[in-house]
Amino acid sequence: MNTAVIDVSKLPAAVEDHTSPIWWGNLFMLFIETTMFALLVGTYFYLRMNFTNWPPVRSDVALYRTDPDLGFATANLLVLIASCVPMFIVDRACLRMDLRTVRLGMTAMVLIGLGTIALRFFEFSGLKFRWDDNAYSAVIWTVLGMHLLHLITGTAENLLMTLWVWLKGLDIRHARDVRVGAAYWYWIAGVWIPLYAIVYFGPRWL
Amino acid sequence: MNVSHAPVSSLSAPNEQAERALSALWTRPPGLIGWLCSTNHKDIGRRYIVTAFIFFGLAGLLAAAMRIQLAFPENHFLGPDLYNQFFTVHGTTMMFLFAVPIMEGLGLYFVPLMVGTRNAAFPRLNAFGYYAFLAGGLLLWGGLLVNAGADAGWFAYTPLSGPDYSPGHRVDIWADMITLTEISALAGAVVTLTTVFKQRAPGMSLNRIPLFVWAQVVTSFMIIFAMPAVMLVSGYLAMDRLAHVNTHFFNAAEGGDSLLYQHLFWFFGHPEVYIIFIPATGMVSMIVETFSGRRVFGYPVMVLSLIATAFIGFGLWVHHMFATPIPLLGRSFFSAASMMIAIPSGIQIFCWIITLWTGRPRLRVPLLFVCGFILLFVLGGLTGVMLASVPLDLQMHDTYFVVAHFHYVLIGGAVFPLFGALYYWFPKWTGRMLNESLGKWNFWTLFAGFNLTFFPMHILGLHGMTRRIYTYVAETGWGNLNLLATIGAGIIGVSVLLFVINVAIALGRSAFTDANPWLAPSLEWATGSPPPAYNFYNLPSVSDAEPLWHSPEEKPVVVGLSTEKREVLNTTVIDAVPEHRYELATDSIWPLALAIVVGLTMTFVIFTPWAIPAGMFFSLIVLYAWFWRGNEPKFIVEAAKPKPQISAAQTSLAAQA
Repeated sequence: MNTAVIDVSKLPAAVEDHTSPIWWGNLFMLFIETTMFALLVGTYFYLRMNFTNWPPVRSDVALYRTDPDLGFATANLLVLIASCVPMFIVDRACLRMDLRTVRLGMTAMVLIGLGTIALRFFEFSGLKFRWDDNAYSAVIWTVLGMHLLHLITGTAENLLMTLWVWLKGLDIRHARDVRVGAAYWYWIAGVWIPLYAIVYFGPRWL
Repeated sequence: MNVSHAPVSSLSAPNEQAERALSALWTRPPGLIGWLCSTNHKDIGRRYIVTAFIFFGLAGLLAAAMRIQLAFPENHFLGPDLYNQFFTVHGTTMMFLFAVPIMEGLGLYFVPLMVGTRNAAFPRLNAFGYYAFLAGGLLLWGGLLVNAGADAGWFAYTPLSGPDYSPGHRVDIWADMITLTEISALAGAVVTLTTVFKQRAPGMSLNRIPLFVWAQVVTSFMIIFAMPAVMLVSGYLAMDRLAHVNTHFFNAAEGGDSLLYQHLFWFFGHPEVYIIFIPATGMVSMIVETFSGRRVFGYPVMVLSLIATAFIGFGLWVHHMFATPIPLLGRSFFSAASMMIAIPSGIQIFCWIITLWTGRPRLRVPLLFVCGFILLFVLGGLTGVMLASVPLDLQMHDTYFVVAHFHYVLIGGAVFPLFGALYYWFPKWTGRMLNESLGKWNFWTLFAGFNLTFFPMHILGLHGMTRRIYTYVAETGWGNLNLLATIGAGIIGVSVLLFVINVAIALGRSAFTDANPWLAPSLEWATGSPPPAYNFYNLPSVSDAEPLWHSPEEKPVVVGLSTEKREVLNTTVIDAVPEHRYELATDSIWPLALAIVVGLTMTFVIFTPWAIPAGMFFSLIVLYAWFWRGNEPKFIVEAAKPKPQISAAQTSLAAQA
């Protein structure tokens, strides 16, 4: 048996970039989640057709005073967009295997994540409707709630990686995991831009 | 052609010692705990197939009970309440617990073998997917056993399924079962896609991927874009129904909309049909190729047809809603799209016929099932084109004509190829052949029984017999055809029993040694039957689409992967050029633990919304343990340690095989 061989022992044992399977797995998961949000947006506009006033009128509140509050919501959106900067710094630091920056940056990301989760609860109180008031409130509560689940998941993931880098340091596999987590975080922030626009400006402009 | 019955020797271990070392690295720990911890794609694929087949049998028993009830006018075998539960659980089981999981299970078993790698990507996610599916099945059938079987149809339309018309918890069980089984389907899709994109053998560029693998890729993409719709809509339904949540998605009084339910359900539900059918076309392509002894005619056209089917499949859903008030333009569009999808399916049928025509077909049992498939699927496809026409559909809506149509496409289009595939790949799983003449009996009884059961339903539908009725009066004149259908159902039962007997007899015999008994061209036949835990000792490389038909011994093999860690080779997405190595996760108990947490969450959420935060909390704890490298509980590690004498016996067994 003298078959030619392809010797792969000199190939890298792990990589940090988009050629890694975990990067692809994360991409497919984001396809799933993006589809889900797209269908939620479809639900929003479908239900809109059943209403004359959007948001619906409430007997105890003057007309047009039921639009959702912008304050905490806009603050949260800005925090989320701004959070991409430290995330990106960590992302780059992983390529340099810069342990100190990764440790501090990940700690900051956990705190920012907890902050956005807290702000989200204030957002709920500014919606002016309970989830069980009508179909309008059902869909906006669900949009905010589904995105909240991602904030919790993303923050929990960052917390896990933060614990790891403080306790065990940084190797190429975990640097890759941090970077995949960063890609997830960019998506969490990015997907909120159109959702914020729909939930908070839909009632004002539609 | 240079085809051998033995495994390709350049892919096998050079000596027994090397074989034993690699085998020890990739084999799951012994005992029950090892079994529960397994992350090997072959274990998981086999579990999906066996579990789904058991659900097929159970749902078949429900069908038999319904046929007995309908055999005579004004029969009293089942009451209306039990009948509602039976047809709902029958349909739900066949779609969510049989058809999708068995197709995915075959993919999870064969895709890694066919692309020439050692295990599927994300082995723990893969294991979790199976347990989540099992949890969903236990929930649905557990409900039926305590007289809480879902009873609002497999699609659970609102307002019937809403809180006003379906009090109790039957529909909640249905909705939460959906979440569990769809988590499983999505996990399997991500595993399959990543395996195909990143772990193909060097040289297996996109135009050399076996058609079965292409079919699994297209199906996985469909799952990714379709399944979120049903998870979302069943979630809305559960929230509308759940005490203390009580949203109004479907409550017309508060601006909700029942048609929204139908749109979202069928946005999933129609692609679902293709999620079941496309893998079956992949099996047909493999069987046709092997038994006609030539390359499938029109490979690029076949691949493009699969992709076209997937795209068009997302543009048909409204044809399930022609009887609802939708705009005329919408009807025309969806009517045209529904007729258009016949084109790519028709192209595939012609390609298979040309392949058989220009090859030298050997009419063995798998090919027999494929011939049955071609005939029955064309019949089902034709009634599909008829139902795509709006005026005709309005007449036929909710009659037995529709029941006949979709059983022709689902049984003819998916179950026949599936049986063909089970006969085709049985020697790969077990190293034993199924009996050929018993197989022919199996085929002919299934063919006869199927047509006897479902062909009369076309006529019953034309005569106005509606679906989901538990009985009818004698004056309708439906009695004779219904009795005929019931006799046919009995013959189908005998046929499935013949298959089970055939399997039992084969398993009772000793193993044979042919690795490639059908002289097939694809890589799963290049290794032993059953394959070793590591699949290939040296990974293969590929330079054409039928590697085993063109001097397999002369192709270069891959060497240099770790023998201490579970390492696989990653290649580039388009051309499959070696890129880097990748260490896969080890066997673990955490996937099972997570499935238990998620399963309990979805059970308790029937009663209280607080199950969700509690479930999230426990899930996060389990996930932390899962991801923290090298963190298996001590008692598991202890229990999984091989006991010396057993281990020696096992290696001597392995050496004999």
